Amino acid sequence: MNFARKICTIRNQTLSTNFSRKFRISAKNFESSHASQPQVQEEKFDFEDLNVLERTERRKPKINPFIKDVFVSVFNKELLAYPEILNKEETENLNARLAALEKVFYDPSKTREERKMALKRTRMYAAPVSLTNNGLAANHTESLQYLDVISSDVDLGQEISDHWVCLEAVRKGLEEDKYQQIVDDLITGDRPLKLCIKEKVAERITQADFRTHAELDGQGVWRISGEKYCTSDGVDEYLLVLSSFESDRVRAFLVHPNAKGIEHNGSFITFRQTPGTPLNMVTEQALAQILGTSRLHAATLCRNVLRRGVQSCIEYIKPRVFSGKPVSELSTIRSTIGEAVLDIYASESADYFTAGLLDGYESPDAEMEMAMCRNIMVDRGITSMLNLLTIPALEQEEECKRLLDDMRHLAARGESMGSINMFIALNGIHHAGKHMAEEVKQIRNPLYHPGFILKKVFESRHQENDNPKLNLYLAEHLHPTLKPPSENLEYCVLRMKYACETLMSRHGLDVASAFTELNRLAIAGTEILAMTAVLARASRSYCIGLHNAELEMKLAACYVDSAKEKVRKLIKEIDDGEFINLDHFKIQFGKKTIEGTSNLVEKPIARTFW
Amino acid sequence: MAARILRTFLTVKPSNSIIKRFESNKKSVSVYDPFRNKPQKNKEAYLEAIKIFESQDKRRRGHVEFIYAALARMKEFGVHKDLEAYKALVDVLPKGRFIPTNIFQAEFMHYPKQQQCAVDLLEQMEDNAVMPDSEMEQMLLNIFGRRGIPVRKFWRMMYWMPKFKYLSPWLLPDKLPDDTLELAKMAIQRITSVDPDIILDIWQTEEITASIDKTWIVSAQSRAQKVLLAEQPLDEPLVVKGPYNVYMRDQVVTYFTLIGKTRPEPTDDRDIDDVSNISKPTGIPGFIGSTKLPSVKCTVHEQDDGTIVSVCATGTSSRDSLLSWIRLLEKYDNPLLSEIPVIFTLTAPPSDIAIQETQPATTEEANKEGT
Repeated sequence: MNFARKICTIRNQTLSTNFSRKFRISAKNFESSHASQPQVQEEKFDFEDLNVLERTERRKPKINPFIKDVFVSVFNKELLAYPEILNKEETENLNARLAALEKVFYDPSKTREERKMALKRTRMYAAPVSLTNNGLAANHTESLQYLDVISSDVDLGQEISDHWVCLEAVRKGLEEDKYQQIVDDLITGDRPLKLCIKEKVAERITQADFRTHAELDGQGVWRISGEKYCTSDGVDEYLLVLSSFESDRVRAFLVHPNAKGIEHNGSFITFRQTPGTPLNMVTEQALAQILGTSRLHAATLCRNVLRRGVQSCIEYIKPRVFSGKPVSELSTIRSTIGEAVLDIYASESADYFTAGLLDGYESPDAEMEMAMCRNIMVDRGITSMLNLLTIPALEQEEECKRLLDDMRHLAARGESMGSINMFIALNGIHHAGKHMAEEVKQIRNPLYHPGFILKKVFESRHQENDNPKLNLYLAEHLHPTLKPPSENLEYCVLRMKYACETLMSRHGLDVASAFTELNRLAIAGTEILAMTAVLARASRSYCIGLHNAELEMKLAACYVDSAKEKVRKLIKEIDDGEFINLDHFKIQFGKKTIEGTSNLVEKPIARTFW
Repeated sequence: MAARILRTFLTVKPSNSIIKRFESNKKSVSVYDPFRNKPQKNKEAYLEAIKIFESQDKRRRGHVEFIYAALARMKEFGVHKDLEAYKALVDVLPKGRFIPTNIFQAEFMHYPKQQQCAVDLLEQMEDNAVMPDSEMEQMLLNIFGRRGIPVRKFWRMMYWMPKFKYLSPWLLPDKLPDDTLELAKMAIQRITSVDPDIILDIWQTEEITASIDKTWIVSAQSRAQKVLLAEQPLDEPLVVKGPYNVYMRDQVVTYFTLIGKTRPEPTDDRDIDDVSNISKPTGIPGFIGSTKLPSVKCTVHEQDDGTIVSVCATGTSSRDSLLSWIRLLEKYDNPLLSEIPVIFTLTAPPSDIAIQETQPATTEEANKEGT
């Protein structure tokens, strides 16, 4: 296959466009750069019908899934205009509500009860519910804003995140009449909804990975049996339980408070023939999309823990001196804090970018983006937090422990990073597979398609040399200062298709089990999302002249520069294969260590003979 | 005249001394064999015989012959794997005398017979997997010098032998235990090392009141094997197969396997080149894996000839002890064995253990034990 990529034909269909681009005839690109211009949309009010109380959503027509397309090196340049979802009125309402929340949540003297009261007062428990049901009809962008404030109390943040996600699932999954019956009870905040999805890992080879099962009994009631991980502690609450039925299908069931057969056991909850209401109006795919929002929330929660880490670190540093000079003058400390700020910036950009995708377009497909947002923060958050906490070292033991534990807990909440990476990579490669199936088939059977192989050899010579032709011209959609970073992003996007192609032609259909390589692909994709979001945000901020926008430009450039190197390395490793990137050997070492009863290697001073 | 002188010169026989040097190879010198009359053939006696030889003649005449004789009798004294004995033998050779002093000596094998003798000694060590040590090197250096062939042989040995020593993934102690139970434990551990989750049990047949053979049983079963056994359909009998041999160096241990039904082979009729529909997870956070189980062969215990659900070695390898093994397996977490028939297909048990058998041995036919 590699041999087949060595020769090249000249493809000149885009020659004229490229020529004009080289000479910066800007009018030529007017059409394509149109998307990134500020757009004015008129809101249509229906004055005739004053009964319309529901919130009007201004969604653009459906677009292709953004990050999935990146896996085949297709980039939707329209999205380089950072999404703006809220209008003036909505923003003002939002700010008013946020101010009320901030008053309580940023005051350390307030108790949990007072905070909970504030949440109820501002109708936070009803945020995703429609206005007619006495809710706020909050979209994802607003939810993230609320959560940004609420997450200063991590426990409440997690609770409300689960509640929102479950509420949305119930809203979409229950029949209208059933929903109307319980919606008022759900939004009071007295009985927040809890998610019960995760199960223990199977301990016997005859156990399935997912064991909770629901069956219809004689009276037509669904009975759920199984064990779930759940942080719930009381019995008086609604539970959303994911359960299998009809052998291999899964569905969410709503378990009402005080239902029979529930047993709490630490952080686990056991169901024995517990009656549940099926959410049968929502498909498995839609359910995944709704529940996936919890990943977006997890990222916000994580980010705020890191932000608190930075804050606590700064408070520690301020009054302290080293060799007669303030500690804050040490460049290592400054750079550690700077890195944390960079991570926070990237994560924040990606989160609101994804929320914009979800809110701004018809039937959005942004599952992968949500998952990526979580991993951007979790991956960098833990490292950043550890680095930050080495500054106070042992002096603020309790504070450090709490911060680190919060971070660790949030990072592992619901699911591990590895499983999310697998989800991202498999979805990406699935999408790429659909697009490139024919090509991959030909690459894998070169002798049947000699002509194609020769062509392929010609075409991919730049990719082989790790020097793809930058023909996406992303810089045209950003502020001109961001040209070098945008070229870095372009490079990364263009390499993705090559990486997918390499993986699929190497493993064929078995690519689904090449986990170490898929992991790399997922991380590369995740970085691209972060880079896009960061660039779009910085460009927007600078163009509209936000406070400290020039700093944002630098942040963006820094982030993209470091991320490009990371992506370049990851894709190089994918291209190299398991022997050069050393995966093969690492796997062997792990295998030997797991299997062996004693140490893998002898002590460094051991001898065979004297 | 000159021609005569030349003829005389050519026809003159070579001096005796030169020939003798080579002739002596063929002659069998009768030496007093100090090893013959030792009442106890053990290491002490062996070392003592060497000491007597060293002390009886200051010049140590016939030491090469002595060393050859001693090498030949090592097994008899049980010291063929003993480094100390070999060292004592090397020590018989005089120090300093055989070290070449000029390049001709060094090049043309100084004292070939002695060098050959030392090489043979090292060769025997190598055959018996006895690794020399640095002291031996020093001794050889003192005897033959840096350019001696035995020293070069020693260096080569020290390069390869440590590597061969750890070639086997199942490391054995330098000296195998004399106790057969310990040996059996090591053997079973070795053959069950395919599954790191294996649990080794040592049971006494006394626990089963009906047992006739009172002996030990080393039984191994992993959790996966327990589950595989529990899944065995009731109408399909389990089979006890054996005895099989496993070698621990020169020791042999016999073991038996309990074999059950194998699940069907996994079928893979996918087109590996068609990537148009790669499987992907649903994406519900926290939901990983599947709700169904594969009902195909997927563990290491499922082999072509059946699923190995347990392995054992017993003290007597008799049928009765194996019956006790099945009972003990049933007692310890395998209740299904009380309902399932077990067939014993033991072909020709080894003769030495047949004596201990309590039942008359039926060699060919399968003996069905309904339990």
